[in-house]
Amino acid sequence: MARPLPLPSPLTAPYWDACRRGELALQRCGGCRGFVHFPEAECPFCGDSNLAYEVVQGKGAVHTFTVVHRAFVPGLAPPYTVAWIDLDAGARVFGGVLGETRIGGRVDVTFRDVEGFGPMPYWRPDE
Amino acid sequence: MQALSGRAAVTGVGMTALTRASGRTELDLATEACRAALADAGVAAPDAVLSYHLGDSVPATQVARALRLERLGWHNDITGGGTQAASILGDAAMLIAAGVARTVLVYRALNGRSGTRMNRASTGPQERFTIPYGMAGPIPLFALAAQRYLHDTGLTEDHLHAVVAASRDRAAANPRALRRAPLPREEYRAAPYVSTPLRNVDCCQETDGACALVVQDARLAPAAPRIHTVVRGGGPGCSAMDRAADVTAIFSAHLDLWGESGLGPEDVDVALLYDAYTWLVPRQLSDFGLVKREDLGDSLLNRSHVPVNPHGGLLSEGYVHGLNNTAEAVRQLRGDGVNQVPGARVALVTGFGGSYGSAALLVRP
Ligand SMILES: [Zn+2]
Repeated sequence: MARPLPLPSPLTAPYWDACRRGELALQRCGGCRGFVHFPEAECPFCGDSNLAYEVVQGKGAVHTFTVVHRAFVPGLAPPYTVAWIDLDAGARVFGGVLGETRIGGRVDVTFRDVEGFGPMPYWRPDE
Repeated sequence: MQALSGRAAVTGVGMTALTRASGRTELDLATEACRAALADAGVAAPDAVLSYHLGDSVPATQVARALRLERLGWHNDITGGGTQAASILGDAAMLIAAGVARTVLVYRALNGRSGTRMNRASTGPQERFTIPYGMAGPIPLFALAAQRYLHDTGLTEDHLHAVVAASRDRAAANPRALRRAPLPREEYRAAPYVSTPLRNVDCCQETDGACALVVQDARLAPAAPRIHTVVRGGGPGCSAMDRAADVTAIFSAHLDLWGESGLGPEDVDVALLYDAYTWLVPRQLSDFGLVKREDLGDSLLNRSHVPVNPHGGLLSEGYVHGLNNTAEAVRQLRGDGVNQVPGARVALVTGFGGSYGSAALLVRP
């Protein structure tokens, strides 16, 4: 079976479109200025619906990670790593990590071309 | 004290055999467990029926029909898995305290190994982002929390091993248990990872089977274990890692069990903790004040904490979505438990659903 691909919706399309430009763009709340990821229709912190996308730097530190040895998703070959990353910009984002990592490990974003979809953000060690 | 406190008692427990391939329908399993619980309670017919499930079971009306209940009173199918394992007692006790029912039959039935498996269950809408990275189902989600938990507490794989090794050792005395062999440290370390730091042996046993309880007005059964307090709730934690300050927080971080009950951790004689994954045991031991956080490591290695899951729990007995742990809490208070805790008077039982869940205190009168 083929690997499941992202299915951009009107809400999430700007995120994936930015990836095609080699940029990481996150929703940022016009009310409380908090970053919102994954995308939402309303800010989960203050309820504001003014959530424009803003380009952010991809550097940050790994908040937590797991190396998946048994996949419950088809089309990916374990082992591979997924993680939550605390960006220096102040957002916590989810993605894959290429290479070995640890909690607190410095990482930077890179974009990997996924067949049948296009670029998806991954993070690689940056130390 | 809650208004329901002491008003309802658990008077019957019933279970099917626990297997990996029952070859039977969920209805068949539910009916057998319910009949056993009713016989144990000495009750011919309940006037209310409650169940919980994730679309993987059989509704209360069908079970009532199979039990030939001519008239069915209050009945409900509650959506949820392990999160309901303790609070279903509260739902039953509320019906009794409110005068809506006098005898409530509670069951959970599933073919959790041969039928719908939890390891592919949806964990929420964030999966539209996580699945394309190869992350689906509860195990990698709780592995992410576990990794951070070990980092924050300084606990190691040796402590996770201590949890499952203790579970296996206790299950050796439990003929119902799916896993009864000891698990030496070398064998633990050689076990394959599912999602680091969780190995397959850090995860509970997917199980086919059913469990049922009979909850009655305490005036009908003055000597039976009473439902003293039930709490249910949740908040930020591992269920919302995008925004939680502590991604390792689980349900037990959010429940005010002692404030609601007027009891304290020192009163607990036996703890039936929801051990779907090894790391949930230390997390709950400290959240409920049973062990100080700084003492967790030693208390796990020395097994010096209050007895936890003397029958082997979900890690070794099986996984009837936690209701089998609730059943063991009742047995321990009646004095017919596995590795019976002498004189057990107060039992804590918990139910896990990420950072949402439930806990109950049962007390022998
Ligand atoms: Zn906001």
